Amino acid sequence: MCFIMYLILFCFVLGLVAVASNPSPYFAALGLVVVAGMGCGVLVGHGGPFLSLVLFLIYLGGMLVVFAYSAALAAEPYPEAWGSWPVVVHMVVYMVGVVLAFVVFGGVWYESSWVSVDELGEFSVFRGDAGGVALMYSSGGWMLIISGWVLLLTLFVVLELTRGLSRGALRAV
Amino acid sequence: MNPYVLITLLFGLGLGTTITFTSSHWLLAWMGLEINTLAIIPLMTQHHHPRAVEATTKYFLTQATAAAMLLFASTTNAWLTGQWEIQQMTHPFPTTMIILALALKVGLAPMHSWLPEVLQGLSLTTGLILSTWQKLAPFALLLQIQPADPFILITLGLTSTLVGGWGGLNQTQLRKILAYSSIAHLGWMMLILQFSPTITLLTLITYLLMTTSTFLVFKLNKATNIATLAISWTKTPALTSLTPLILLSLGGLPPLTGFMPKWLILQELTKQDLSTLATLTALTALLSLFFYLRLSYAMALTLSPNNATGTTPWRLSSTQSNLPLALSTTTSILLLPLAPAAMALFTP
Repeated sequence: MCFIMYLILFCFVLGLVAVASNPSPYFAALGLVVVAGMGCGVLVGHGGPFLSLVLFLIYLGGMLVVFAYSAALAAEPYPEAWGSWPVVVHMVVYMVGVVLAFVVFGGVWYESSWVSVDELGEFSVFRGDAGGVALMYSSGGWMLIISGWVLLLTLFVVLELTRGLSRGALRAV
Repeated sequence: MNPYVLITLLFGLGLGTTITFTSSHWLLAWMGLEINTLAIIPLMTQHHHPRAVEATTKYFLTQATAAAMLLFASTTNAWLTGQWEIQQMTHPFPTTMIILALALKVGLAPMHSWLPEVLQGLSLTTGLILSTWQKLAPFALLLQIQPADPFILITLGLTSTLVGGWGGLNQTQLRKILAYSSIAHLGWMMLILQFSPTITLLTLITYLLMTTSTFLVFKLNKATNIATLAISWTKTPALTSLTPLILLSLGGLPPLTGFMPKWLILQELTKQDLSTLATLTALTALLSLFFYLRLSYAMALTLSPNNATGTTPWRLSSTQSNLPLALSTTTSILLLPLAPAAMALFTP
């Protein structure tokens, strides 16, 4: 189990490097799919299956799909994949940074240093993550309302930023 | 901008700061900071030219990095200490990270490079909101945490006063001068934070008043560089003769309001047996004083050449409301005798 977690996190870091190395948005979105998928795997392995499902559905299935369609509309003639020279330079630098960080900080990591979210395990009906979501709807009601309002504010912010075609803030629209 | 959108954004600005002020949970405080960042972005791009969009992009990137650092430090604190209380931070690592994240948010040296460029790309009104309102929420958080290492706040403070003074010396654009002045004042606030949060709050409030006055004076004269400032005597003669007092108050000269925080900070540092630091900081304040004096010189102490037709704008009345300017100018010049009352008011 620990080995599988290690593999998942390894692929997570590889996906992060693939996104951060500045390829074209289509390939970066592919990197993000890998990152989100691996993140969901980590969540499942540490006692948060509900949050993992929510992440898959909303982030990958909602937000990333919309982003992919928008990026497809803004197609460029010579997209830069992970084979082109600047992207490779970024990737090498980030990989070196990751290895350095592991050498500096990875000394005290050992096999049983990972623990899962819910300590009760088999003795409780509510898992850690589902119980948290239930709390968000009951005691955390005001925070939920503020979060919903913030999402509405974000919508207005984005609409105001992209308003006006090329006379507005974004000349490329 | 559509007035409904404007109201929503300004309401978002108010709500974000209020949420951060009233929260005891790190997640809610972070939410307030993010609401502030989101709400000011369209206000910054409302004049749709590329310079403003560039400034907005830089602002968004730095604030997002700072917010991500803040969230990381809060979750690390929750992991290490098991709780999310703002005032109960005991572990040194998340505390230091939060101080650095909030320093990036506010524009302290050495994380200050974004502030002059961002302020330069904005209109004077939006620059005013950025310099004053957006500093309140991070300071509300900074006032509540106890730093683990006494040197980090002192380093941030001294570097900021030095960079703020030195960087402002070569500037002719007024918004960049005000950005460096902001960095220097934030440095003074950081220096005294661990010894007396009361004086930090006092410095913040007096800095807000003085900066508001300066921005409003520049806005009334439609001045964005020293050359335009030099002909402001033709537009608002009475205000032009008062503005050196505001600028010298920013510079910290007695008997003006700006002397009050500097005096109290130097006194408190000396009481804490840090006289060398107090001397160094007072010397760096001389650098800032030089460019405030240069602005006063260009504005009121010398009359720039102008042709006869340029000497008549004072006959026309301006459409800008004068009440905020009048209030902030009065307070930024005359508040020094109220120092004991201010100290009593701002004690947490």
